[in-house]
Amino acid sequence: MVLKSKLGIVDLTKEKVLIQEVPQSLRKALFGGRGMNVYYLLKMLGENVDPLSPDNLLIFGTGLMTGTMAPSSGRFSTTAKSPESGFLGDTNCGGFFAPELKYAGFERLIIKGKAKRPSILHVTDNSIEIKDAKDYWGQDTTEAQKRMRKDLGPVEMALCGTAGENLVRYACVRTGIKNAGGRTGLGCVMGSKNLKAVAAYGTQGLEVAYPERMIQKVQELKDYLMSAKITPILGSVGTLLLYEVSNAFGGIRTKNSTLNAWRDDLNAAFAHPYIEKMIACQGCFVHCRHRNTFDGEGPEYTTLVLLGANIGMEKYPEIIKLGNLVNELGLDVSSTGTYLAWAIDLYQQGKLDKKLTDGEELHWGDYDQAERIIRKIAKREGFGAVLAEGNRAAAKLGDPNKDYLIACKGIPQSDPHDVRYMKAFSLGIATSSRGADHLRSRPTLEIFFKLPLEFKEKIFGKGVVLDPTSYEGKALVVTWSERIFATIDCLEMCKFICHGFNSPHYTDYKWMKELIYCVTGWELSEKEVSEAGRRTVDLERMFNMKQGMTMADDTLPRRYFDDPAPLGTAKGHHIDREKFAKMREEFYDLHGWSKEGKVSEARRKELEAIE
Amino acid sequence: MKYLYAYPEKCSGCRMCSIACSLKHQGQCNPKMGAINVVRDEFEKYEIQFVCLQCDDAECVRVCTKKALKKEGNVVKRDEKKCIRCRMCVIACPYAGVHSFKGKIIKCDTCDGDPLCVKVCSTGALKYEEETIEIIERRKALAKAVLKK
Repeated sequence: MVLKSKLGIVDLTKEKVLIQEVPQSLRKALFGGRGMNVYYLLKMLGENVDPLSPDNLLIFGTGLMTGTMAPSSGRFSTTAKSPESGFLGDTNCGGFFAPELKYAGFERLIIKGKAKRPSILHVTDNSIEIKDAKDYWGQDTTEAQKRMRKDLGPVEMALCGTAGENLVRYACVRTGIKNAGGRTGLGCVMGSKNLKAVAAYGTQGLEVAYPERMIQKVQELKDYLMSAKITPILGSVGTLLLYEVSNAFGGIRTKNSTLNAWRDDLNAAFAHPYIEKMIACQGCFVHCRHRNTFDGEGPEYTTLVLLGANIGMEKYPEIIKLGNLVNELGLDVSSTGTYLAWAIDLYQQGKLDKKLTDGEELHWGDYDQAERIIRKIAKREGFGAVLAEGNRAAAKLGDPNKDYLIACKGIPQSDPHDVRYMKAFSLGIATSSRGADHLRSRPTLEIFFKLPLEFKEKIFGKGVVLDPTSYEGKALVVTWSERIFATIDCLEMCKFICHGFNSPHYTDYKWMKELIYCVTGWELSEKEVSEAGRRTVDLERMFNMKQGMTMADDTLPRRYFDDPAPLGTAKGHHIDREKFAKMREEFYDLHGWSKEGKVSEARRKELEAIE
Repeated sequence: MKYLYAYPEKCSGCRMCSIACSLKHQGQCNPKMGAINVVRDEFEKYEIQFVCLQCDDAECVRVCTKKALKKEGNVVKRDEKKCIRCRMCVIACPYAGVHSFKGKIIKCDTCDGDPLCVKVCSTGALKYEEETIEIIERRKALAKAVLKK
């Protein structure tokens, strides 16, 4: 039964496992996933904890829908204090691991302490065992998973690669070949805890409140999702489709944002020769993941741009191979590509000495060099050890104020979009709770300039302004997006089928309400459903403020303010500081936060009273 | 006669067919309990559906000592009351079309000619259709490919 799944608390230092019931009231307030993760983190993490110390917590949380018949519900959130930013570390991942954890009887694992030796958690029906990881430590992600399957049977795993073991601050959590909880360095937290993997296998199915209704409603939802124009395109080329749309107006991050458009022959159509098959995460109708011809999976749009245009790579095969490499090593593609581009740019500006780069001149578009440096990062060798520190390498790289790093709150921008033209996107990355990130609040529909006003008003409400370069009405669309994405993250369904992310014909609050009813029998209003998202956003804000974040952190990379975009329709556009500040003020206001972006005392008390 | 055909080359491996099947027939969302089973391995790179082929001259019928299995029309039907759960049908089926899980024998009944798995498949990897020359040819090609491997 969905509502009976348990919380496992593992103390790696004491080698103790505690299994607890989960209060229904807590589940009803936050649904699970991202929301409940930050709830526990806020409640259980001590003051001034070093993210790499045993005192940090690492939380793997599935959602209310995970493992059920709800579409695209194979997801989980991993949450901790981020070793990359020092603020919220939170990352969302698909695949098959999360349902397996749930079928084993656990909706969430909270891991504290540090194991004496490299270890894994082996989760089976109602049981969590700490086991030796000596056969898997030091292995890349594919090899380690293959070995675990050989030893433990048909488990699904979430693990860190060698980058995580070596405490690269932007190491990711991986499951399968390419699925990643990429952001905020949580593979690094795994490494710091001597935890190579969580391997799960469960046999317990999930009973739902209204099975027949669920079977009926999911079929209706399938028809609705499949009728959206974008679904078959996502199913044939995945996220790559966005490249052409954004490149056309000058919205592609190129060479560390010294440029804003790149080659047409990287449009999605050119990827076809390298795609063997499109595959899916659990229960997904969209199947946006490529199995590529170079023995890996991907590329995503983020890979195409951040390990492509952003470092000057020109050819699909090379970009795909670099993507495969970071996947194997367990590095976050967005951070890796951004830091590489930053270093190349600084070298080209003459700010870097060859002594630091192991005697290499850094070039744009040098495949062999990029591969070499990426390997060094994962091993923390030579120049790689400098870059492995992420934004903390700024002083060493000759850019102490991080003037040339495309990052917010110390987290490199995940979105391949150059945001100088798209004002809503700029507000989104500046205010996201986990640093420069598009999956928190990117109102993608802003790109489709020609959608009629009435149509957009129907989605976002009155006050929408069609012009993407206007600062008016953008706080509204960002806030709206942020809330619905947070809600679907609590349910742990994929944003790819979330209303407003890629299409206006996807899962909205009405559908979420229906699915929640089918699974739990709870009769919630659409507003009540959205409240889970709102609570999550506020809890994340409270967590970040507690870690010392201020409104000054809700800002953009200097380059987006000061250097106008040089190419295309976006030419001449930049972000105006004053107008940005006003937009941010509106954003705070829409959240009910103070002028300094703080959650009110009354709201804080209300949220802390949830249990 | 209509039969349920699986096209592994179109299967995305999402297991929605298995989850839907288990919810309908076993009352729980559990891909391991679907009468249609997707065997997938991202490292070995395959996704393939296993489901009862409803053979005319079925091994499972032949080995069932309790006569709990019987071909009726285009479906090999299983009588839960007669079944003693010896799992001989599971062992005998050369196509892994019948399986057992936690003591249950699980076998496709085509949802009485209206299979749910086909309806929830988004890639056309499952079809309930008449046997055609095309299907026969395709089956031969698949057999050749499998033998080569």
